[in-house]
Amino acid sequence: MNADAPRPFRGIVRRTARACPLLLAAALLCGCWDRTEIEDRAIVLGVSIDKAPPEAENEEESVTHYVKGLGPPASDLIRVGVQLALPGRIPLGPGESGGGGGNDPQKTVWVVDVVGHSVNDALMNLQQELSARLFFGHLRVIVVSEEMARFGLENIDDYFHRNSEVRRMAWMMVSEGEALSLMKASPKLERVPSLYLMTTLDEGIRMGKFPQDYIGIYWSRKSKLGQEGFLPYVKLKKNQTLQTKGLALFQDSRMVGATKPLGIAVYMALKGNNPGGYSAFVKVNGTEVMTHVTHRESKTTFELRDGKPFFNFKMAFELNLEEKLNDELNIQDPTTIREIEQSQMAGAKKLIEEFIGQSQSLGSDVLGLGEYVRAKAPGYWNRNVRTKERWQRMYKEIEYKIDIDMKIRRIGMKAE
Amino acid sequence: MTKATRDVTATQASAVLVSTIIGVGVLPLPLFAVRAADTGGPLVTLLGSVCALIGLLFVAALGMRFPDQSIIQYSERLIGKWPARAIGACLIVFFALLTSLTAREFGEVVVTSVLKQTPVEVTVIVMLMLAAISARNTMSTFAYIHFFYVPLLLVPVLLIVALSLKNAELLNLQPFWGNKPEGMLQGILTIAALFQGSFVMTIVIPAMRRPAKALSVSLYSILIAGGLYVVIVIAVVGVFGAQETRKLLWPTLELAKATSLPANVLERLDGAFLAVWVTAVFTTLLSSYYLTSQSLKQLLRLEEPRIFTFFLLPFVFVLAMVPANIVKMYEAVLNVGKVGLALTTVYPGLLLVIAWVRKKRGSAHER
Amino acid sequence: MPLFGNRTHLLSGKTRRGNRGQSESPSEPDSGRGDGSPVRKPLNGRLAELLADVTDVLGTDTTLSVRRFRIFGTFPAAMLFFPNMLDQAALNETILKPAMSAPPGSDLSDWTAQRLMDRLANEALWHTDCSETEDFDALIQGLLHGDTVLVADGSNAALVIGTRQIDKRGIDQPGTEQVIRGPREGFVEPIGPNLALIRYRLQAAELRMRQLTVGRKTRSKVVICYMDGLTDPALLAEVERRIGAIDIDAVLDSGYLEQYIEDNQWSPFPQVQYTERPDKVVANLLEGRVAILVDGSPLALIVPTVFNQFYQAVEDYTERFMQMSAIRMARLVALVFSLVFPSIYVSVISFNPELIPTEFAVAVAGGRAGVPWPAVVEVLIIEISMEVLREATIRLPQQVGGALSIVGVLVIGQAAVAAGFASPITVVIIALTTIGSFATPAYNAALALRLLRFPLIIIAGIFGLYGVMIGLILIANHLLSLKSFGVPYLSPLVPVNFEGMKDVLIRGPLWWMKRRPAFLKPGDRVRVGPEMTEPPETIGEEGGASPTSTAKE
Repeated sequence: MNADAPRPFRGIVRRTARACPLLLAAALLCGCWDRTEIEDRAIVLGVSIDKAPPEAENEEESVTHYVKGLGPPASDLIRVGVQLALPGRIPLGPGESGGGGGNDPQKTVWVVDVVGHSVNDALMNLQQELSARLFFGHLRVIVVSEEMARFGLENIDDYFHRNSEVRRMAWMMVSEGEALSLMKASPKLERVPSLYLMTTLDEGIRMGKFPQDYIGIYWSRKSKLGQEGFLPYVKLKKNQTLQTKGLALFQDSRMVGATKPLGIAVYMALKGNNPGGYSAFVKVNGTEVMTHVTHRESKTTFELRDGKPFFNFKMAFELNLEEKLNDELNIQDPTTIREIEQSQMAGAKKLIEEFIGQSQSLGSDVLGLGEYVRAKAPGYWNRNVRTKERWQRMYKEIEYKIDIDMKIRRIGMKAE
Repeated sequence: MTKATRDVTATQASAVLVSTIIGVGVLPLPLFAVRAADTGGPLVTLLGSVCALIGLLFVAALGMRFPDQSIIQYSERLIGKWPARAIGACLIVFFALLTSLTAREFGEVVVTSVLKQTPVEVTVIVMLMLAAISARNTMSTFAYIHFFYVPLLLVPVLLIVALSLKNAELLNLQPFWGNKPEGMLQGILTIAALFQGSFVMTIVIPAMRRPAKALSVSLYSILIAGGLYVVIVIAVVGVFGAQETRKLLWPTLELAKATSLPANVLERLDGAFLAVWVTAVFTTLLSSYYLTSQSLKQLLRLEEPRIFTFFLLPFVFVLAMVPANIVKMYEAVLNVGKVGLALTTVYPGLLLVIAWVRKKRGSAHER
Repeated sequence: MPLFGNRTHLLSGKTRRGNRGQSESPSEPDSGRGDGSPVRKPLNGRLAELLADVTDVLGTDTTLSVRRFRIFGTFPAAMLFFPNMLDQAALNETILKPAMSAPPGSDLSDWTAQRLMDRLANEALWHTDCSETEDFDALIQGLLHGDTVLVADGSNAALVIGTRQIDKRGIDQPGTEQVIRGPREGFVEPIGPNLALIRYRLQAAELRMRQLTVGRKTRSKVVICYMDGLTDPALLAEVERRIGAIDIDAVLDSGYLEQYIEDNQWSPFPQVQYTERPDKVVANLLEGRVAILVDGSPLALIVPTVFNQFYQAVEDYTERFMQMSAIRMARLVALVFSLVFPSIYVSVISFNPELIPTEFAVAVAGGRAGVPWPAVVEVLIIEISMEVLREATIRLPQQVGGALSIVGVLVIGQAAVAAGFASPITVVIIALTTIGSFATPAYNAALALRLLRFPLIIIAGIFGLYGVMIGLILIANHLLSLKSFGVPYLSPLVPVNFEGMKDVLIRGPLWWMKRRPAFLKPGDRVRVGPEMTEPPETIGEEGGASPTSTAKE
């Protein structure tokens, strides 16, 4: 057996050896179809989408539509701003100065904007002007203006969802005012501006300031039958910083309203997201203290009460006392602590009621209460709800009860 | 080199089955499962695996009755020469089709998500050639190859599942039987069809050291492969929710995309996952290719199987290029899979009944 | 069969040429076939004729000495030898002197020319290594080997006296396999001391050394070492068959032999391990392998070889297991680095830049901005220049080599980046790869991986990660189908053997590895006594509670 073992194998090798130059020739002749060097790609770091006024039509060239009958679509014009990384401007390594003005973020990126009838149309218009191929593999931030969001994001969602390069971990946010201005912002903390936008939210998650709401998660929530999506609602402030203003509430793909910044805290409290990141004033005995939530726990249960869904929110918080406004309170006294807890409980309840009330009036079930119904009572769901539209209507009438337990655990380094 | 070598151990045989079953089908699997019964996807997958297990057990039981022969050979003794040959030819055509569709499916995945400008023909032919070259090996090397790659199939999937489970919500998986379980039966068959590569068992048994272990081999391999399938569906549906999964062509790949390694070593895993997945597809292709060429050799009673490996290549390639687009291709995958169920489950079942009724068995193995 | 080593002068390094034909395999080429002497003839006892024949065969070789004298002052005789190949002082003292002066008290009258040689060897000469021959070819062979030939007029036999002494270098640290902890001895060129080094470490009756002669012209001695009762007899037969089938004119090094006995000559992977360490040979013999030594080569061949031997080092076993397991894993990482790093770099840069963090991707793009060619060409250029540099460093004398490598690495790398010829990341990647390939203990395995790196880079330039994977699958499939003397190359990983797995990725504690590797089919599997589950407990730890420890006390 050993004697003839190598023989057939040798045959294979010979054939393979013969095939190799052939393959190589084939490869060289056909070329390397997909090879695009990293520096030949226009790396898109951020995209902003605004509604454009009708007169912007003049700016647009017919790149994707030529003959009258074949488009342009009836939809309104949008203005897409794209933040491109400028290779060579961002120095390799942690060097401070580096090449050409690494300190000025505005010089590390290049913001271009175009108009079009849809996202792809606009991007095709842009590609027509650019030498390098647009590459979305590093797209981290998509900013949509409030006007656009209120108009509806179906087209935008579809484009980015379909594009295989776009990551599900990118952020999509709704800006108050013009979205393009966020692309042009030049915050000082990061070398690349759009990375700053991203870091704001990513760090927000770690500090307990914002729930996880990557674009992928937003898409998942949006497609669920008993839940609506939400996006961060942001604003560019005068220091070129980004302020997280609240949650932009959606119904289907349309933004219907926005919460206050503390609405984020309420949402996170209802969801039991950790760590806690918000502080609040608490009124006690005529004066005020500030407490900081360190740990949240929450449990949502659901039951059918009189043939209607009824929700029970049970929450527990752990707090740290952070600040007193004056010396009137004696923290050493356990009753004072209890009073602070009681007072904050009442406040929190009010906040939550306000939050749920707002979302009910907007018909936007961001908490995904409908999902509880669908998951826990499929029979009821199939009989009475079934579609998303019907749940949106039902959501406005649901009833709930809130149970809050607050515990102050620490008071800092000061004894009283 | 000789036919008589029986050196495939039970572990290796299980590895062959596991790596054959786990292939390109994993990528759209959650979509099929969720289409059948939205949140009931994991249940559908579980039932599908059980269904596949039954078919495989038929094959294994037949193999134990005829430990020296493959289905092409013993079917002739059971139902007569010409009917057996006709069905044998159908089987060969079916596995040639399965090979081509697997190659095409993966080619489409690659071309859609990574190599966008590369013609799909190139990716398909590269995969097929890889399988054809490796299909020239002996049975023991064939078993070695499968055995070697099993960790490469299990580890990346389990890693992605483990990393993404922290984002999963139990609510997405409830109710466990699904809100609309009407499509359940259809879905079970679709999922069971994804296991059809396990039919390779019929040529593995004659090379097994102890064919008597075929039953437990089948059981364990379905347990591992089916378990992995269920875990994947649970992770995908748990993370995305049933409705979002419906919108994704390859939800498993999307799950890889939504996952990043801790400390940002790799920011997204889809490219890497797809690269590693080449091995999974390769082992599946290798099995069906090997099965096709070996069966053809047995049907035509030829001694030298190696000629066939390259002889088959153009046919399989042309078959792979038939579907016009990705939608047509998936239609073909689903239809071929259902027809295949009759061939790979019902046919062995019938044979088993006939063998049982006519009290036929193969020559008892020496050991 | 007499053991070969028993008749070896261990310390002087002289070996005996004696038992020719006794232990040779039947397939060994017939001595004298096709070379110098045209006719085989028996000796006829005529001295002048014999000397004429010798001159005829050897031509007018002026280095041949012919010393004519009379044995015991009576029988005309001649001593033939090449004076450069032996120690003349010893010749004078042990052969010439006793041959010229009759043994005291012996009666010369019953000495006849006919039985002269036999008696001379038995009664007169003070030399251990004497053999009698009546074959002219054997006589010539002995002469060429460095022995002294003693012929006398009227005697049909000649004495071939093993006087060979070739100057050799001293036993030295093995240059290619240095260790921090472990024996410092390495093989030398002559086979005698090498065999002595092996037997010195393995004083077992089961150790067998079987000698063959290979090479029509060089007639190199090849010795097959194995452990009787331990080595698989089928393996031994296969080794002998393959070596016996070799018919070439020169074996200048064991490397010649390797290329004729390996299973697959077309594979880039070595299927035979070589070593210059006697301790490594002994360890492998004890696992049931066969070692092949060639006279004139300081490198022994070990078969069958499996892949994991190439990243194992002697130190793995001499140093404690935990540290060495970690180091072995580092070595494995280096192995993988040296194979796939550049191709992965090319595919990430040219195909999948979304895999690396955004900040880094942007920075890399900046670093590459001035480089005129695609990453695949850039990597190939730098890789090839690295190979050139490495080869130059090996070939240069040591003193210059050091300077060159500094110039090469520091200056060229820096200048290439500064000139926009290569991006800094590429240089880092190639440097890592090169260093990685140095960390593989086996030079030939490292060479294989270095070679395979290039097709991988090219295919990465065409298909990206997909291509790299295709290439790796091809390599893995090749490895899986490869066999070394019937043993699957990736044993004990595939086919799996859990006993063997203790020594693949990690190096398990010695007392775990109770059995010899099963894939070598050893005759005796157990190598650690059944009691040696763990190192013996320290006395006093349990206060002598266990019965065995009290019994000992």
